[in-house]
Amino acid sequence: MIQLEDVSRVYRRGADEVRALDHVSLSIERGRFVALMGPSGSGKSTLLHLLAGLDRPTAGRVMVADRVLNEMSDDELASFRAQHVGFIFQFFNLIPVLSARENVELPLLLTKLSKTERRERASTALRVVGLAERAEHMPSEMSGGEQQRVAIARAIVSDPEIVVADEPTGDLDAKNAVEILALLRDLRREFGKTVVMVTHDSRGEQFVDEIHHLDKGLLDRTVPGGGAA
Amino acid sequence: MSWSAFLWRNLSRNKVRSLLTGGAIALAIALVCFLATMPDGMNRILEQVATNTRVVVHNEAGLVYPLPYAYMQKVRAMPGVVAVTSWTWFGGVFKEEDGISFPNFAVEPDAVGETWPDYGIPKDQLEEFKHRRDGAIVGGGTLKKYGWKVGDQVTLKGTVFPVDLTFKIVGTIPNERAPHFWFQREYLEQAVKAAGGTFDFLGTIWVRVDDPSRLDPLARQIDETFHNSDAQTSSENEKSYFKNFFGALEGLVFLIMLVTALVAVCIVFIAANTASMTVRERMREIAILKAMGFSRRSVFGMLVAEATLLATLAGAVGAFTSLGLTRLVRYASGSWNPTMGPLASFIVSNTILVEGLFLAFFIGMVSGIVPSYGAARRNVVQTLREVF
Repeated sequence: MIQLEDVSRVYRRGADEVRALDHVSLSIERGRFVALMGPSGSGKSTLLHLLAGLDRPTAGRVMVADRVLNEMSDDELASFRAQHVGFIFQFFNLIPVLSARENVELPLLLTKLSKTERRERASTALRVVGLAERAEHMPSEMSGGEQQRVAIARAIVSDPEIVVADEPTGDLDAKNAVEILALLRDLRREFGKTVVMVTHDSRGEQFVDEIHHLDKGLLDRTVPGGGAA
Repeated sequence: MSWSAFLWRNLSRNKVRSLLTGGAIALAIALVCFLATMPDGMNRILEQVATNTRVVVHNEAGLVYPLPYAYMQKVRAMPGVVAVTSWTWFGGVFKEEDGISFPNFAVEPDAVGETWPDYGIPKDQLEEFKHRRDGAIVGGGTLKKYGWKVGDQVTLKGTVFPVDLTFKIVGTIPNERAPHFWFQREYLEQAVKAAGGTFDFLGTIWVRVDDPSRLDPLARQIDETFHNSDAQTSSENEKSYFKNFFGALEGLVFLIMLVTALVAVCIVFIAANTASMTVRERMREIAILKAMGFSRRSVFGMLVAEATLLATLAGAVGAFTSLGLTRLVRYASGSWNPTMGPLASFIVSNTILVEGLFLAFFIGMVSGIVPSYGAARRNVVQTLREVF
């Protein structure tokens, strides 16, 4: 499903060169819930961006859903993300002037679905995350946990194979963090989604199938998580 | 939710800023639309006051220079001439007013009716005007302004001639915009003689012809006739004559149009500044949209569409307000406020309305392009790193 072969990513900051990823090879099977962990600057967000088609490697090959991402143009990558990847961010990032349902509908504007179909799909996604009754509420009227659930509904509404989450529990209290982790696990269990999550949260280890530890741009080790079947 | 609903929601995100920017655009478009009525409006006024059967003859050196009175006879004898009347500026002031507030001229009473048949002066009043030496025919505008009526006596204090004259109003030009005050030339002649002066000149000669096609040949013939005389003439049709009066105003209109164009450019900068602020504040959201799969083109299109929608809506408000105001003025001048008369000629036409809307559309599009292009091109990973 996701395959990285000898991938490096080098950034330039003025005259300096920063090697964010250094010859990393990694394979993630379809339907797995995977955590990328490591200290700040270890390269986990860079790795997430590469496998989500947000960035291209300096060297190596990134293959996702049988597509080689390195060879795609910006527009092709955008189209790939719209069809295959759902995103969840730490700060929810809902559009403040749209209701929960409208926020969830947003990715569907890129599809050819009718207005009614978009609405129905958004309602379904909200039902999956347990927020059907809050569909018409604005983000400002919702708690952090609820907003993150709306963000998850937005990530799955277009039925992508992969859901990537960048510190999804980073801005939540303990109770909500656990609920969000459980929800992500359910996405993998009930809908067969491949979920890749960057996290510092050690509670995540109980929910994921495997954990890839990175350090200084290198893949340090891979260990099974508490959620492994 | 549709794209249009999404755009609309984004516009309502900062209502005060959208209203202020929209207000500035609406005001500018209203101004542009109103000023765009000037050239047509001036033309319409000219068409109202001028006919295509009269030639005006004046001194080539300028309107303030006189012509010999003897010219009248020579012009009258030319082929195609139906009637000839002269105007001589009396410059009379009513009571203690500071300046001349209406044009008063000495004329030949016999030919007034034939020279200006389109003025619709009643025949019995023209007859009385011919026979009563102190008689005066006064335009409806001046009558209304001073509350005069036919039968009233009016005294004008001479400023050009050293005489004061008292007149009896015997007739009127039935047009509430007409400012004229005409009286018998002979009356002035006798008063000047009594004061020890002479009066053997005139200001302008008005000639009515039997056929509009004769206008230009006759004007040429008159000028050729007096070509080598001491007072050479300049003859032109009535429309051209009045146009000369508006000449200075046309320069002013050009200046106003120029300033308006600059205002439109300023509005582009104001709208561009608003668009830049909007884009800067939403950098995180834009990055999220791009992460979700919105292409550069769709992000660019969305941001430009927002700026264009705001400007076009504001432009529509401005253009229709301008249309409404000019129609209101026209309605008012035709019913309860005739003093607005000349303003009634300035009407926002459908063409001007469409031009105004296009200008607003253009302002929105141009103002949105630069900030939107920058936002659309911005690297999504770089933005995510900066804002998270």
